[in-house]
Amino acid sequence: MSLEYISKILPLLLKGAGTTLSLFFIVIVLAIPLGFIVTLLAKSKFPPLRWLSNTYIFVMRGTPLLLQLVFIFFGFPIIGIFLNNTFDAPMLANLFRLERFQAAVLGFTLNYAAYFAEIFRGGLLAIDKGQYEAAKVLGFSRYHTTTKIIFPQMIRVALPAVTNESITLIKDTALLYAVAVPELLHFAQAAVNRDFNLTPLFIAALIYLVLVFVLTIFFKWLEKRFRFQ
Amino acid sequence: MTMVKANNVKKSFGTTEVLSGVSFEVQKGDVIAVIGPSGSGKSTMLRCLIDLEQVSDGSIFVENNPLVVDGVYSSGDERKTVTSKMGMVFQHFNLFPHLTVRQNLELAPKTVKKLPSAEIRNLSDMYLEKVGLLNKADSYPASLSGGQKQRVAIARALMMSPDVMLFDEPTSALDPELTGEVLATIKKLADERITMIVVTHEMGFAKEVANKVFFMDNGEFIEEGTPEQIFNTPTHDRTREFLNSILK
Repeated sequence: MSLEYISKILPLLLKGAGTTLSLFFIVIVLAIPLGFIVTLLAKSKFPPLRWLSNTYIFVMRGTPLLLQLVFIFFGFPIIGIFLNNTFDAPMLANLFRLERFQAAVLGFTLNYAAYFAEIFRGGLLAIDKGQYEAAKVLGFSRYHTTTKIIFPQMIRVALPAVTNESITLIKDTALLYAVAVPELLHFAQAAVNRDFNLTPLFIAALIYLVLVFVLTIFFKWLEKRFRFQ
Repeated sequence: MTMVKANNVKKSFGTTEVLSGVSFEVQKGDVIAVIGPSGSGKSTMLRCLIDLEQVSDGSIFVENNPLVVDGVYSSGDERKTVTSKMGMVFQHFNLFPHLTVRQNLELAPKTVKKLPSAEIRNLSDMYLEKVGLLNKADSYPASLSGGQKQRVAIARALMMSPDVMLFDEPTSALDPELTGEVLATIKKLADERITMIVVTHEMGFAKEVANKVFFMDNGEFIEEGTPEQIFNTPTHDRTREFLNSILK
């Protein structure tokens, strides 16, 4: 476990960590709002929207993320070719041919949005119906009731579960190997195999821990801000 | 001037009839105490007035504007106009826990009425002063006692300048030693001749503050009268039984 060896492999591991982090941030930024939209659809008064939302959640939670990633990366181009052959639409076909990283972002976002949707649904269930009644008698529109009264309270209830899910996401990024995007764990494993040395794995573990630690601190701070006392 | 008029209002939850044809009128400046046994439909009646519950039949008018006529509701906009003439105070306060006391008061005037912020600030100062909680303006509801919460809820309702205030058992969720401060606040409003309908179990309050008492039992409007009439010379057996049972 010489310092020299560590300094030799560290740049590559950090590069992998960079990929891990960028996937993490893009997915969080996309999946949380999408999840909230899915929650609202699940509560819609229009039944088809409810079915759509519930089916989406069922499929996304009911199949492995790995399967979804493989399907999007390898399956979509096949659908594209089929569409091209059937409708002679190369533009359409191109839409289905995604870069590796794009495919990963799409897969992770769709999958995590389903989980976030369920977390937010739980948050909404925790809100007393008196809050809706108070909002109604004060004349708030449905939109303002949601944005100004329900949403901030839901966030507070949902935060611990969102923290949990975010930590899982950091570690799930290792699934990027399924679409052959090299990330932290990939580089570490490659080094282990090449050098017959476990050090890279320990360093990778340390990097994951640091990432999760920073994330935990951030969410703790958020929770404090949403304590309302 | 008739502020609220209910005519033959009926309401069922499933097969259980909770209101079986209730009619009454409330004049401007009236302070009405609605009394009666638990489950007699008092709260449901109040909630129907402000459109938190749907009636199955009957009519409700507020300042001659129809909320519902013979079981047929007005359009969404009109319903909103009608209910906006009333403010409501709940048994469990229903303050917004994520907002400070002042924000609780100011959110509705700001987002619903879009009043200028200076005017809103004057109003919130005035009403916090009135309920004696100006010093709690920046506290969150979680740090207040039940009595304080309910006074904030009263101030919040007043911020929308309602013509009629509805109180749904405003002291039922409070410890006995805290009911006094809330009742005193409501009495203050009564002294200003604000039209009020108060569903209550506080007979002392009904006697002292109300100018009219409505007695309800089993989903029916049994009788109404001045506090003296209802408490001293009730005409109905059911009223007498109820008063005997609680004054014992």
